[in-house]
Amino acid sequence: MANVRHTSLGTALRYRGREGMWTWILHRATGLGILLFLIIHVIDTAIIIYWPGEYDVALGIYKHPVFRFAELLIFFSVLYHAVNGLRIVIQDFWPYVMQRQRQLVWATAVIVVLAMLPVTWIMLAPIFGLAQEPGTARSEVRCSEARNAHAPACVNPEGEVAL
Amino acid sequence: MSAPAQVAERGTPRRGGGYAKPRKAGGGNFELISWFFMRLSGLLLIFLALYHLVWWNLIVGVAHLDSQVVIERWNNPFWRLFNVALVTFAMLHGLNGARYSIEDYVRRPGRQVAVKAVVYTLVLGSLLVAVFALLTFDPAVLVNR
Repeated sequence: MANVRHTSLGTALRYRGREGMWTWILHRATGLGILLFLIIHVIDTAIIIYWPGEYDVALGIYKHPVFRFAELLIFFSVLYHAVNGLRIVIQDFWPYVMQRQRQLVWATAVIVVLAMLPVTWIMLAPIFGLAQEPGTARSEVRCSEARNAHAPACVNPEGEVAL
Repeated sequence: MSAPAQVAERGTPRRGGGYAKPRKAGGGNFELISWFFMRLSGLLLIFLALYHLVWWNLIVGVAHLDSQVVIERWNNPFWRLFNVALVTFAMLHGLNGARYSIEDYVRRPGRQVAVKAVVYTLVLGSLLVAVFALLTFDPAVLVNR
């Protein structure tokens, strides 16, 4: 094909596109990553309408500490994609700000990093025993109600599911 | 070496940046509509997706999640419709983004059609499963347990 170009990954990464290039690569990578997770997430959640028990088994896998890092990565991906996407929309509809596009990229990075600090603490601290799991107080209220006494998360708060 | 890549025909440059819409012989506005859809759905998804993540990861907490928590949430039709909107916009936004990537990296026409067929089937198929599950959800499930 006339349009096929052969550029190695190394050559592509040595291209010095600075901030614009890296935000573009990260936007694409996070977008494709989110789409892949979305497909898996839809399938695991949809089984709840026929097999709630199997849903709890699938949740038992998600509750493993290893997956907490994956969930944090998904959180970062969505947050970055959202803030960077907002930057793109603003630049598209208000071309005047393109004169400051490099500063806007850095503003995006600062917003994402600042937001990720508390999110990272809330999601990771509990698996190292440094803080309670988020939602523990809510969960205790819920589990104290008689009708929820046999709810899987109340019976087994550690989240381990016998397979 | 291969021949230079074909450059898409552009309209005339416009004052203040950008280009006027190129005149095409026939053909629809699909790319313009898809560009606009990405902005519109993207703005909506900032709220829908971030709310979803904050609610389930930071407020409810994955550790305290079970099927009954989700079933109680889905008993409210508002949250089922919220999820229909979230999954529909997210899947269509993601599908169009995947299309951009496929058209950038898979250049052989035959292979491009094949990759698109697989990705479109996966994405639209799981979107169908999601909307079906949300719309046919029976609150009686909660009573039966």
